[in-house]
Amino acid sequence: MLLELRDVSARYGRIQALHGVDLHVDEGEVVALIGANGAGKTTIMRAVSGLLPVSTGSVIFEGQDITRLRADRRVARGISLSPEGRGIFPGMSVKENLDMGAYTRRDRAGIAADLERMLTLFPRLRERLGQPGGTLSGGEQQMLAVARSLMSRPKVLLLDEPSMGLAPKLIAQIFDIVVEIRRQGTTILLVEQNAHQALWVADRGYVLETGSVVRTGSGEDLLDDSSVKAAYLGVA
Amino acid sequence: MTPTTPSGADPSTGERLSTQDPPLLVERSGEGETPRREPEGGSSPRGPRRRRELADLPPVVRYAICAGILGAAYLLPWVGRVPVIGPQIQTQGIDWPSALFNMSYFVLLALGLNVVVGFAGLLDLGYVGFFAVGAYTVAVLASPDSDLDQRWPWLACVPVAIGVCLFSGLLLGWPTLRLRGDYLAIVTLGFAEIIRVFADSSSLLRGDRGLGSIPHPPGNWSDGSPIFSVRDATPYYWLGLTLIVLMVLAVRNLKASRVGRSWLAIREDEEAAELMGVRTVRFKLWAFAIGAAIGGFGGVLFAGEQGFLNSATFQLMFSVLVLAGVVMGGSGSIPGAILGGALISYIPDRLRGVQIAGTDAFEYRFLIFGLMIIIIMIFRPQGLLPDRRRVATTQDQEER
Repeated sequence: MLLELRDVSARYGRIQALHGVDLHVDEGEVVALIGANGAGKTTIMRAVSGLLPVSTGSVIFEGQDITRLRADRRVARGISLSPEGRGIFPGMSVKENLDMGAYTRRDRAGIAADLERMLTLFPRLRERLGQPGGTLSGGEQQMLAVARSLMSRPKVLLLDEPSMGLAPKLIAQIFDIVVEIRRQGTTILLVEQNAHQALWVADRGYVLETGSVVRTGSGEDLLDDSSVKAAYLGVA
Repeated sequence: MTPTTPSGADPSTGERLSTQDPPLLVERSGEGETPRREPEGGSSPRGPRRRRELADLPPVVRYAICAGILGAAYLLPWVGRVPVIGPQIQTQGIDWPSALFNMSYFVLLALGLNVVVGFAGLLDLGYVGFFAVGAYTVAVLASPDSDLDQRWPWLACVPVAIGVCLFSGLLLGWPTLRLRGDYLAIVTLGFAEIIRVFADSSSLLRGDRGLGSIPHPPGNWSDGSPIFSVRDATPYYWLGLTLIVLMVLAVRNLKASRVGRSWLAIREDEEAAELMGVRTVRFKLWAFAIGAAIGGFGGVLFAGEQGFLNSATFQLMFSVLVLAGVVMGGSGSIPGAILGGALISYIPDRLRGVQIAGTDAFEYRFLIFGLMIIIIMIFRPQGLLPDRRRVATTQDQEER
């Protein structure tokens, strides 16, 4: 087991956002978290990346308890979040954004090789290498955010709403890339409102409702599940 | 204007004005997936909107220009001898070397505040506090009026004062690290007030009775008279200028280093910076401490030149002025901080002794000043000599 959440609760001030969530991600898997707005998907991502302290429960990564570890340390351990809304550095060039992704690394040769790998994976970024991140289109910014996260060479990549605000054609492209990243050996925890496509690429999925896991299973099972269909896939 | 800055001699200034204007966003569909068309000449490796800058010139030319500007800055005390323009530049109501000295410590303050506000993006409204800490440390250690009665020479006080400033920067930084934006601004404002009230009421700092007879820096001319004295502020100006040069070199290197990149990341998106593995707490503390130390240099210089400090010296207006200077010059830009810092000191001093309808224009300084800032902000919203990245960031936000 690469990543595990044991009975994790978290709160924003007085509002409890997670109620004892248990979930795990095995090495090499793509795991999808689906659910409506406010179900706690992003909160889980923030708790795993260390941006939000959990109030109870524990986060285990590679068998070690990282519940109290600072966010910047978790990056070095191999957890990388591509945040909701992308969070790219608008005034830095595409190249500089990618370099920031490799902030915790010291192996120059490896960084250069990974940069090349990213530019092959996202040819659009090569064309825009010197351009400030803030001048990219929405889809390009999303690609940049994903590429930047991968530059830290994560063991698990957390993707928070990668398809948000994108045109259908681009959404398909993003999911293709998810499949490709996984093929290249990176484990992925994916948060999506776009449940259908998320479950399609995922090995397993968790359905969240108001801060709790209400259903779990393989991607295919959840796609077939009648209650999931009714609630998230828009099929009666 | 003030040749302490590259602005006067920089041939590219005019061009910058024009290259900023072309519409960058020509077309954009609802989803924004269409790449934006680049303006003509977008083949430059650093992107389409790269302005022509000093950095694009060959190194020899660049160094020559910098050396020329620096040389001219050292010769500024004699600017009055330049026919026609010289007398216009000189101040009337205050002797010119003193005005130059005032400019030099304001530039130091602007450079320091620029690290905090411009580089790290932490809005500090209490920057005068560090200036006061630096100056008071010298005064307490050196002045015969001080209860400590140590009577240290000026030079011995400097390292102590800078150390105390660094420490006070950390002290202010530590509890405020979790705060962002407006909240941070309020707390720093409080910090400056605490220093002022402390100066007002503590017996050590002697309130408005103040601390006098602060010694001058050491050194004698060949005829045995002291270099630094109340008679002529010119050597003080040179000392200030030399400190500015050293600080600029230090700050420039910092900006280009990993520390500078970390600050930039924090300024652009603190949460994203954390997600990249930047130790945001540590680098924000660094920004506060380094900014405080540079402000401290301004303070020790000021204490020596003035020879007397009291609690009325360090008004909150100082912080506001320096911040205005940084923003006016172009937040995050070192040439901008130099120009802005020099202007906020030069403009009021230049207005002294000028009569407007029977009143000294100095009385209207804040009015004139405010108008100037508004005009500058209308025509150059990123400041007079903006940082390249700031231009990109601000334009991006405007497009949304």
